[in-house]
Amino acid sequence: MKLHQKSVLSFFRGCRAQAPDREGILLKKGARNTSYQRRWFVLRGNLLFYLENQADHTPLGLILLENCQVEPRLGATEPHAFTILTPRVEGTGGRAYKLAAENQEELGAWLWALAGASCRQLVALLPTLEAQYRELCQAAGQEPSSPPEGCGFVATLSTPSSFQELHEHFGKEIRVLQVVRGRPQASNNGSNRSQAEEEPELKSC
Amino acid sequence: MRYNEKELQALSRQPAELAAELGMRGPKKGSVLKRRLVKLVVNFLFYFRTDEAEPVGALLLERCRVTQEEPSGFSISFLEDPERKYHFACGSEAQCQEWMGALRRASYEFMRRSLIFYRNEIQKMTGKDPLEQFGISEEARFQLGGLKA
Repeated sequence: MKLHQKSVLSFFRGCRAQAPDREGILLKKGARNTSYQRRWFVLRGNLLFYLENQADHTPLGLILLENCQVEPRLGATEPHAFTILTPRVEGTGGRAYKLAAENQEELGAWLWALAGASCRQLVALLPTLEAQYRELCQAAGQEPSSPPEGCGFVATLSTPSSFQELHEHFGKEIRVLQVVRGRPQASNNGSNRSQAEEEPELKSC
Repeated sequence: MRYNEKELQALSRQPAELAAELGMRGPKKGSVLKRRLVKLVVNFLFYFRTDEAEPVGALLLERCRVTQEEPSGFSISFLEDPERKYHFACGSEAQCQEWMGALRRASYEFMRRSLIFYRNEIQKMTGKDPLEQFGISEEARFQLGGLKA
């Protein structure tokens, strides 16, 4: 099967001016060479790119995150290790990408970002929100408007600045660590408090 | 750029948003229209020879432009290279409109923007964040910009 690389590279390069969902250094275990290599990873939507260097024009590789499982890997030789397990295809097992973060905070942040990185999630959420919006419009006697269309290009849309994404830096240490296996997530009430607690920490970094 | 073909194969077997036999012609000069089973799965477009289980190829549908091409056909091109077009011939105008609409809505970026749009509108109207019930209101990818501009 041929993946039309130009379509992927066009996406990768075209988005470089915009902040990705997450990016940073991760250690990646090679397929043949079993040592960990330092790579720059860029997450956009359901695609995880890895580059040899942050400024490279072409990624080394791509991991497709639809229907993947992301889990911390306890007992690995490398600390802060995790695995991205891709789906099986008829008899052959999925591939396990063995990765490691540089510290516990990074591990938690990446696990959280990767766990939510599928199109399917958005596809599941959208109809509910759209229905809710239309109901509200109907109740208010308001004409519903549509979200900006267009196949993923932002430049030509006249969206007001309130629709722009603010990419927060993941400093929510308590909350992200709760993603690590077995721990329940904090409620939203808790997160506001924990954010206030962590701000002094962020400033001192 | 390395990628794992099995990941793509697995995706091509997922339930499709749309699937149909269409005429398809690649962007190279002199390419011929061929019958292909075209399948839209999340933000990827797969195309198969009509009797085969493995796709011939896959296109990522981000930052692309979908344009009507008369009669009852459309083309897909990518923003970075707008002259390079993949052409598709549909069986009817209705089918063509159906595909064009679905392809334009297929990108992750479009879905994300839509989600942010609805979230913002609902929040304005109700004062409540509709994402809280799903526990994802803190996620960076769904955040709005501050109204500082």
